Amino acid sequence: MSGPSVEKGINFIREQIDAPVASFFSSCVHCGMCAEACLFYTQTGDPRYTPIYKVEPMRRLWENEFTLWGRIKSTLGIAKKVTEEDFAQWEELVYDGCSLCGRCSLVCPVGNDISGMIRKIREGFSAAGYAPEGLIGATTRAITIGSPMGVRLPALKAQIGHVEKETGIEIPLDRAGAEYMVLLSSMEIMNFPEYLQAIARIMRQAGRTWTISSKAFEATNSGIQIGASDLARELVQRVVDAAEELGVQTVISPECGHAYTAIRWEGPNLIGRPFKFKVRHILEVLDEFREQGLIKTRGKEQARLTFHDPCQLVRKGGVVEQPRHLLDLVAENFVEMTDHGAMNWCCGGGGGVSANERADELRLKAFRQKKSQLDEIGVETLVTACANCRITLEEGLEEYEMDIPVVGLTETLAEHLVEEDQEGQG
Amino acid sequence: MSDNKTLGEHLRERGVSRRGFMKFCAATASLMALPPAMIPAIAETLQNARRPSVIWLSFQECTGCTESLTRSHAPTVESLIFDYISLDYHHTLQAASGEAAEQAREAAMKENWGKYLLVVDGSIPQRDGGVYSTIAGMTNLEMLQEVAKGAAAIVSVGTCAAFGGLPKADPNPTGAAAVSQIVTDKPIVNIPGCPPIPVAITGVLAQYLTLGKLPEMDHLGRPKAFYGQNIHDRCYRRPFYERGQFAETFDDEGAKKGWCLFKLGCKGPTTYNACATAKWNEGTSFPIQSGHGCIGCSEPDFWDAGGFYKALSVPIGDAAGAITAAAAAAAAAGLAAGAVNRYHKQVAQAAHEPLKVEELSREEKS
Repeated sequence: MSGPSVEKGINFIREQIDAPVASFFSSCVHCGMCAEACLFYTQTGDPRYTPIYKVEPMRRLWENEFTLWGRIKSTLGIAKKVTEEDFAQWEELVYDGCSLCGRCSLVCPVGNDISGMIRKIREGFSAAGYAPEGLIGATTRAITIGSPMGVRLPALKAQIGHVEKETGIEIPLDRAGAEYMVLLSSMEIMNFPEYLQAIARIMRQAGRTWTISSKAFEATNSGIQIGASDLARELVQRVVDAAEELGVQTVISPECGHAYTAIRWEGPNLIGRPFKFKVRHILEVLDEFREQGLIKTRGKEQARLTFHDPCQLVRKGGVVEQPRHLLDLVAENFVEMTDHGAMNWCCGGGGGVSANERADELRLKAFRQKKSQLDEIGVETLVTACANCRITLEEGLEEYEMDIPVVGLTETLAEHLVEEDQEGQG
Repeated sequence: MSDNKTLGEHLRERGVSRRGFMKFCAATASLMALPPAMIPAIAETLQNARRPSVIWLSFQECTGCTESLTRSHAPTVESLIFDYISLDYHHTLQAASGEAAEQAREAAMKENWGKYLLVVDGSIPQRDGGVYSTIAGMTNLEMLQEVAKGAAAIVSVGTCAAFGGLPKADPNPTGAAAVSQIVTDKPIVNIPGCPPIPVAITGVLAQYLTLGKLPEMDHLGRPKAFYGQNIHDRCYRRPFYERGQFAETFDDEGAKKGWCLFKLGCKGPTTYNACATAKWNEGTSFPIQSGHGCIGCSEPDFWDAGGFYKALSVPIGDAAGAITAAAAAAAAAGLAAGAVNRYHKQVAQAAHEPLKVEELSREEKS
């Protein structure tokens, strides 16, 4: 085992430098718009949190090694090299001060994918040993145990038992040939079992077949968050193997943001081939059911509520309209926050920030962005579609003593299902 | 040779009125871009000017320049002026021939040493000792060098004398050169054109007579008064150019309507001369007015500029080749840089050892 080292880290960053990265660095006009788009900057006022500055070590490496002037400067010995000290200094900016929300990439006037570059630079930081302890722990558990929270199959089976008892619906485990294979995040298994309940009820009403794989039920991918493609690939491969073994048509990513990014967008690139199945987010599937008339609902929530757009799902995944359509079914008083949809503000806990205890203080500070959005519209309920957002929102609301319950959209929908015909079957 | 009559007396003898003379002086002042206050001074000086001695040497040329001057403007004041100057030596015009002619030249030189004006038309062959053009057994090169020594100033008339002209056109078999390439220690004014406009010649001569100095010149040694603006800027067809109305062939509707000849290869935009304003044949017309594009004859190397009927937007000469070569070189450099960068990255990828989960934490390193 070679162990982490700065040389290794630099080499990993070097590997990530490609034509888009070169064009991004070349075209940056230093306008600072990305700073204004970043909640870590707006809530701290600290210019070090300017998104493009967070990838400065990568920019310097690119300049030194991939540009003519940089090479000349390097030859003359006047180039500023990337050192261990830089890794130490930037670790906090790269991990604690960025939730990979992608708002900076969206506002960049020259189209630079800054958050994409932060995802890339994390490859080098994790290889150099400069990743936060919390993320290292989560990644280690994900690889060795199968879940960042250490959830093993017996724990899942226990939850399945509870849900089956509660709903009277069988949860099919390892059923080959099912239409859908449902993934779960550890948080849903341990903290929000209502999600699994909702899935079971909705699938029964829609009349679709589904299953959970005992080999790969975990949807989250800590390798993506810490920025270690070698590990992320292993986690994706587990899901791909299980799904292809069971021969399912579609894998459903749960109410979890980065899990969706990991399996749907990064997944095929990581394993180097297209999947033999489709990947959909649960909200996409539910909206399809709605369109096909497979979901019957009754009554609507009367509470004034709003929807917090999970960044990975909405801004990066393009699932913008589906949650609105679904909320239309079940909410009477739905209001939008000022910046919503693709321009939403992050909860502050994405991209591994919530798994990084060291970042708690900064994360809660950044949450004031969401707080001001919520204060503005004064809602009684906050709906979202990401378990990580949900935990972060709950913690933030508690910190600022705001009494707003946070619920998942899938379970909210399930509460309004018309189930008379099934109820008789008990 | 020179007599003692003044120009004023000479003109009056030839029946030119005071009014006609003043008109010429005003025209000269305006042509030469001199202030109106200079008109009386010009008149006064010209009236009283003594006939200056002029030696005209013709080398590799076609006599077109002389034709231009003597035929087209025969009865005008300009030609009278030209008659008036003491043209002591001119192959075509002088009566003398053979040895007598050469003696006339030598005598004029001796008599007016350091004061005479030397006019040259035609280029000078230099290759093989200049044997390609000789007069009375003397090469043009030797004659020019000899006569130039005693000249007050030199006027290079026509593009051949000014820039080498047709004899110098690729592949230039005789090693033809312009006057200014051979004589470097005398004031030289170039009056290019194939042929030049007669008033350009008389205007320069008039100014030299009145002010005793050569006119203000551009970077190619041409008098700015005649060569300061390009044909295109002064062309009466310019509005059609601005509107994008072009003749596409010499017999299409556009040509009949007098549209711009740019697409038919008109070199007006890059040619500096007075054709569009002074015109030819006593102000009758000029090439563009008679339906043919400017061929750029007052510019250096106009004969090798890629074809008279090739539009200017097509790069002339070897520019296209140079640009293609430069682009190819740049592309090659870009590819090379890209290859170096890719190689650099491949080395990094080759050095990649898959990251294991145990390797994430620094504490476990030792």
